[in-house]
Formats: sequence, C-alpha cells, structure tokens
Amino acid sequence: MSEEILRVEGLSKWFGGLQAVKDVSFSMHRGEILGLIGPNGAGKTTAFNMIAGFLKPSAGSVHFAGRDMTGRKPWDVCKAGVARTFQLSKPFGDMTVIDNLMVGGFARHTDRSRNRDRALEVADFLGLGPLVETEAQNLTAFDRRRLELARALCTEPELLLMDEVVAGATPSEAEEMVKLVRKVRDRGVSILIVEHVMKVIMSLSDRVIVFDHGELIAEGEPAAVVSRPEVLKAYFGENHDIPGA
Amino acid sequence: MNRFAALDKTPQARGLRLTQTHVLLVIVAGLAFVPLVVTDSFTLHSIIMILFFAYMATSWNLVCGYVGQLSLGHAMFNGVGGYVSVLMFTQLGLSPWLGMLFGGLLAMVLAVLIGLPTFRLKGPYFTLTMIAFAEIVRIWVENTNDFAGIPLKGAEGLIVPNRGDDFWAFQFSGKVPYYYIILTFLALALAATAWMERSKLGFCLKAIRGDRDAAEALGVNPTRYTSIAFALSAFMTAIGGSFYAQFFRYINPERSMGLELSIDMAVMAIIGGQGTVLGPLLGAAILTPIAELARGAFGGGLLGLHLVVYGFALMACVLYFPKGAIDPLRKIFRKIAGGGAK
Repeated sequence: MSEEILRVEGLSKWFGGLQAVKDVSFSMHRGEILGLIGPNGAGKTTAFNMIAGFLKPSAGSVHFAGRDMTGRKPWDVCKAGVARTFQLSKPFGDMTVIDNLMVGGFARHTDRSRNRDRALEVADFLGLGPLVETEAQNLTAFDRRRLELARALCTEPELLLMDEVVAGATPSEAEEMVKLVRKVRDRGVSILIVEHVMKVIMSLSDRVIVFDHGELIAEGEPAAVVSRPEVLKAYFGENHDIPGA
Repeated sequence: MNRFAALDKTPQARGLRLTQTHVLLVIVAGLAFVPLVVTDSFTLHSIIMILFFAYMATSWNLVCGYVGQLSLGHAMFNGVGGYVSVLMFTQLGLSPWLGMLFGGLLAMVLAVLIGLPTFRLKGPYFTLTMIAFAEIVRIWVENTNDFAGIPLKGAEGLIVPNRGDDFWAFQFSGKVPYYYIILTFLALALAATAWMERSKLGFCLKAIRGDRDAAEALGVNPTRYTSIAFALSAFMTAIGGSFYAQFFRYINPERSMGLELSIDMAVMAIIGGQGTVLGPLLGAAILTPIAELARGAFGGGLLGLHLVVYGFALMACVLYFPKGAIDPLRKIFRKIAGGGAK
C-alpha cells in the first residue's frame, strides 16, 4: 500500500498566455483509487492528458513506478503500464468486441491465441462475454464504456487513468460502473479517476484531490475534503449557504 | 432442435475460421487450370491483365484498405519497380528477377521517406499529397533524358531488348509462363494479406483506422505501423511494375506511373471491398473486363470511356454495397457454410 506508483511534481501547462495547470504536485500509492475533482475548466483533463502522454507538459515531471515518463508518447506510456479511458468512448467501430480487446493485448504480446484467450477472460470479467462477436458500433452507450475499460485492462496496466466514467449514464448504470471499477482495483490495478458526479467519487475514492483554476486546492479523505470552505467556494462561489450549517 | 443447435456450434465456428483460407486455396487452384482450357492468346492476355490488376489492387489494399488512407500515388512505386529492373537489365545485364528486388527496395525507401511526413495528414490531404508526389516523379522522368549517366529516355520510354525464350531475362515467347508468374505473385500477395490480417500488424492498422487516439492509448505507434505497411505495399507494387515491364517489354512514364494506374488500383480495391483479403481480386475481376470491353467496343473513338464505367460502378457500389462487392458474397457464403455444417 505504501509503495508509490505515480508521482507528479510541479506539473504546468500553458496554452498561449493561459496557464491551464499551475505547478501541481501529488502522488499515488499502489492499489489506491484517487479521485480528481474540480469545477469545469479547472484543468483536470489537461493534467490527465499530460500524465497519459497526450499532452506535453510545459514544466514539471511525471514519474511512474520510479521511472521518468515526462513528455513520453502515449504508446510508450501504455507500454510502461499506464492505461487510459476516454471521456467519450472511442471504440474501433467496425471491429468486433473481441478484436477491440485483442488490440490491447498486442501491446504486450504478439501471440494471437494468447491474446484471444486473455481478451475472452477480460470480457467475461466485465460482463461483455455474450457480446464478444458483436461489432463495437452496435453496442449500447454503456457497453461501449465497458468495452473501453476492458480494452484498457487488456494492456495489463498497473495504473489506470479513467476520464469521466459515468458521464451520461443512468443511476443504475453508474452504480454498476462503480462496482466494475472496484472489481478492477481488486485485481491490483491502481486507479486515477476524473469525475464530475460527486456520488461516484465519494463512494469510490480512497482519497481525492481538488483542482480549481489549474491549482491543486485540497487533498485528503473524500468526506473531509468536500466540506472544506475552499472546495465549497470553488464549486458554489463566494456567498454560498451550506444547508444545515 | 436444441440438441442439434448445440452440436452445430463447434464445427460451424471452426468452419468459419477456415473459410477464408479455403476459398483462397480453391480460387488459386482453380486459376492454375485456366491455361489448360484457354488456349486463345487474346483471352489469356486479358486474363493475365485481370490477375495483374488483382495483384496491384491487393498490394494497394495492404496499407490503404486497412488503414483507410486513400493513396492515389501508388503508380509511382509501380514505375520505380519497372524502371529499376529494366535499367539494371539494359545497363548492367542484371536479371530482372534480381533487378525487381532492387526496385522493390527502392520503392520501400521512397515510401518511408514520403510516408513519415505525410501519414499525419488525414483524408483528402493525404490523397492530394500522394498525387503530388507521384506526379512530381512522373513529370521528372518524363522530362529527363539522362540522369547521372542513367538513360531514363524521358517520355520516349524504355524498351526491353528481346532475348527470346530466356528464363533469367524474364522473357518468354508464349503467354502461359507470364500467366503462372503473375498467378504466383497474386497468390503470395493474397497470402501476405491473409497473414497480416491476423497478425499484430493487422490489428494495429485496423485500430488506427478505427480511432487514432484510442489506438495510441493502447500502445500503437501509428507512424511506425503505417510506415511498415506502406513500405510492404510499395515493395509489392514495385514488383508488379517489373512484371508489367517484362510482360509488355516497354514502359513509359505515362503508362507505368500515371495517375490512371493509381486510380485503377484504388477503384478496384474499393469496389471489390477494401480492407478484405479477397475484395481487390473481386474488384479487378469485375472492372478489368468491363474496361477491356469498353476499349474494344469503341476502339480509339471514345478514349477514357472505361473511366466513365468506373465512375458508374463506384457510384453503384457506394450506394448498394458500401463495404464492397465482396460483402453480399460473404453473406451468401456464410449461409452456405452454416447450412453445410448441419
């Protein structure tokens, strides 16, 4: 539990004159679920994309399991053991579910039948078993999300970065997704999750960090963090009334 | 009924997995007997042209069909193959069998050099860039009589000196040897495509076609895998160019690296079914005879009429079989294969 899997130091990103992420530092332990929250435009996704290799940081560093991954390309980040999902799921539409999953497997192994067996296993694990021969474009929105998660798992990650897992999901789907994420963590995968839906973050995360205007403004246990004045201010503005306060 | 359904499952699944390989073997084996039946020289010539275009469309499909990038510059690799093997034969006396390997290698190098800066381009931008590169090469050859001591002979073209019936000179008096050579090339190209489709390379290419960002997140370096496939495709296309040169014993820039050839390759693969193993073969089998008949029927009177035919075929295809003419055949075949398992 105490081993560090991700360390982010002084991470910054400028888009022209705008600084989207300002000198952010945090770290994650192995096996942890860390929630990253903040209002719209807080720089959550920018930070997320820098860790995943999709954006080059303007300054700062990202270390994964002791290895410097700063500014590495997405495919190198993937091979180092960091997988990601996208906010809008991006299935390979004209490929079947099983073929989608096998792409993930090929990141580590070239043996086709091995990848197929493993993809079938992951599909069963996440409840995609009956759908393996379906073309991804014919899946429901929620099954696409499931596929996205399964595909990421097929790359055998140690750290999984998840962007908005329940956006647009019904309450019961959201509940199921929470269960799936827990199942994934129980396999020993550490998870960094960016999420808007407070209920999900509160029930999933071991710890949360809060972004506002590109800065990290709070860090700690979910229940404790969301009652802090600076967090409430970021979400609700200066003159808010806390019900029951 | 249920009992039977349960029993059917395994053989059916196994049958489907072998289907493609079986169809491939049957087609190639069937084609091997054609010269025994067809003795008329003109008909055999026409069938050789069908196989040649099937081979070229298959080579084009190897990268463009699977990555979904429309290259209309592949004729450039055909030209490189033809010119290198012919020049090595006339200048150095090297057998075209070896010369075509050098042509293939040069085409590979050219493909990677062009590919590295252009693969980032998407859709029409990539297509236009490829046309531009191919046209630059064509125009350069057309206007260059002599390059560093190599007699390119410009628009006049190159003639392969006649050596009679000589295997090492890749020259035969009859059509039958050419037939078996191009059939072998085609069989190898189809086998390479079938192998690639199931390999890591094939999965990576299809992933890039599906969604580039998602592919990258799953460990696929798009530039690397597209370059590998593009180089393979260029190599195969160049080998086809050498065959073309030896078969006609004459090449010129217009015929062997013109835009028309690029369009032929692309349209045949698209109409037949790009991104499938047998689609390009089917496309060539449909379109080459139509083009030949149009040329034959109207003679020199209506030049380019076959292009109009292509246009209509393409429109019909996009409207009715967007996945290519292979798609309905596949469905029928699946039904037969499913019924056969019972």
